[in-house]
Amino acid sequence: MSVVVERSPIPNWLTERISNRHLVAIGIGWVTLFFVFPILFLVVESLNFGDGSLFEAYHRATGGVYVSAFVRSFIYGFVTTVLTLVFAYVLAYYLAFASKRVRLLLTLVVVPLWIAYIIRYFGLMLFFSPTGPLAQVTGLEIDLLFTSTAVVLGLTNAYLPFAVLPIYNSLNAIHHETINASRVLGAGQFRTIREVVLPLSMPGIIAAGVIVFILATGSFLGPAVLGGPNQSMIANEIARTFLEAYNIQLASALAVIYTVLLVAFIAAFNAVFNLQEALGNL
Amino acid sequence: MSVTSSIRRASLVRQGTLLFVLLLIYAFLLVPVAIVVLTSFTGQTFPAIPYDGISLQWYTELLTDSQLLGALVTSFIVATAASLLAVAFGTAAAVGFVRAEFPYKQQLSTVMLLPMIISPVITGIALIRYFGMVNVSSGYPALIVGHSILTVPYVFLLVRSQLVTFDEDLEQASRVLGADSTVTFLNVTAPIISPALLAGFFVAFVVSFGEFTATQFLISPGSSTVPVEIYTMLRTGLTPTINALSTVLVVIMVVAALLSRYFER
Repeated sequence: MSVVVERSPIPNWLTERISNRHLVAIGIGWVTLFFVFPILFLVVESLNFGDGSLFEAYHRATGGVYVSAFVRSFIYGFVTTVLTLVFAYVLAYYLAFASKRVRLLLTLVVVPLWIAYIIRYFGLMLFFSPTGPLAQVTGLEIDLLFTSTAVVLGLTNAYLPFAVLPIYNSLNAIHHETINASRVLGAGQFRTIREVVLPLSMPGIIAAGVIVFILATGSFLGPAVLGGPNQSMIANEIARTFLEAYNIQLASALAVIYTVLLVAFIAAFNAVFNLQEALGNL
Repeated sequence: MSVTSSIRRASLVRQGTLLFVLLLIYAFLLVPVAIVVLTSFTGQTFPAIPYDGISLQWYTELLTDSQLLGALVTSFIVATAASLLAVAFGTAAAVGFVRAEFPYKQQLSTVMLLPMIISPVITGIALIRYFGMVNVSSGYPALIVGHSILTVPYVFLLVRSQLVTFDEDLEQASRVLGADSTVTFLNVTAPIISPALLAGFFVAFVVSFGEFTATQFLISPGSSTVPVEIYTMLRTGLTPTINALSTVLVVIMVVAALLSRYFER
């Protein structure tokens, strides 16, 4: 048997020097150069170096229409998270304990993630519209478009798949003996769910909740397609300030405030939530 | 009626309710997209269920619209180029993070995931302002670099999860048998991890092809992408051309996603 050793075109002095740490540096370097720096540069852009206060844009950003957009984002985000967790838990519970066709049913949950948000919101738009196909087929008087309900349902639809997977994984990790033990010791189905299954699946619930909350509060397309001017969230205000009012300083200040709030939120959950693991489920 | 049969009936009712709720949730997830596809075959001038036969007129409309065809070409070019960049940088980082030990490893790997967490509106304006400063022009260069950033976390997560099961003894064996590190990489490492790279490429392709929010800031006249065209059309009025274009987008994205799953693990 002969071993063919090809000579490589890359000189040895180069390959010997590319260590695993260099590989890390290459990846991190790309993200730093074209993501971390641009985000940090927004802080500079948000400051006023002309006449008046350095933080002029921040004074404007913390008043009036912008505060209500912030508050609305967090309310929509919260309601969406609660709705999503309820739907996701029912789905994940069934998949983990009762279903025989787990692979197919899990794939059906993931399929929407393969389809652009714009198309899914467009589908919901047709659904909610008074002249849409659903009204056409059922004869119902549907007039949800451009309401808060439409936006929250849209966000729930968009981010539900992100919540099912972490909850399913945490339920799947529960040993059946634990549940059997609870039943044998006399607890009914609901008591078993409340006192055994729910606490054991808490890591998955928290992971799902934090991810959905982050994604939902930062959504632009949901309110842009399904909402009206009164459903405008913070991402919409940032985009409008930038694209229409062309006020870069103010748009940057809003972006900085939102990002800081979000980072503080993630840090608050740091003890019970691991971003790496949560996203690793996807 | 005996006690057991009433308990059985109660449990049947409960199961029936559960199945009904599940059906509703699945319908909620999947029917909107199905409606978009279904109503693209209407013969009418607005998106309607095609009761009176299937018509392909909105697809022929699509084929004669040079702007929409141009957007499809742009989306293809941007998604392909951005995914190649994302695979290169995402894989480099994934290999490094799996194999090297260094301080603050966990925190540093979170940096790779940041583009998934920050609102894409913020990413969009941050990038276009920064690109203006460092002389990267809007249009293709901005779109390709920007999409490589937006997709790199997906590649990183996927390749890293596939690499954890990699048996490094195989590389050691190659080295012991006399191959240098380059030959080992080309003949041992690359063939083993290449399915993960292909899976990563197609995941990035799907994400890039569907991205709208950051993209709207990065386009230039003449380099609009399909999601941007769909959004613009939605704002100006509902015609089934939007459905036809959306259906084309759905087909492309689902095919790419299936390819990704095929190469995974």
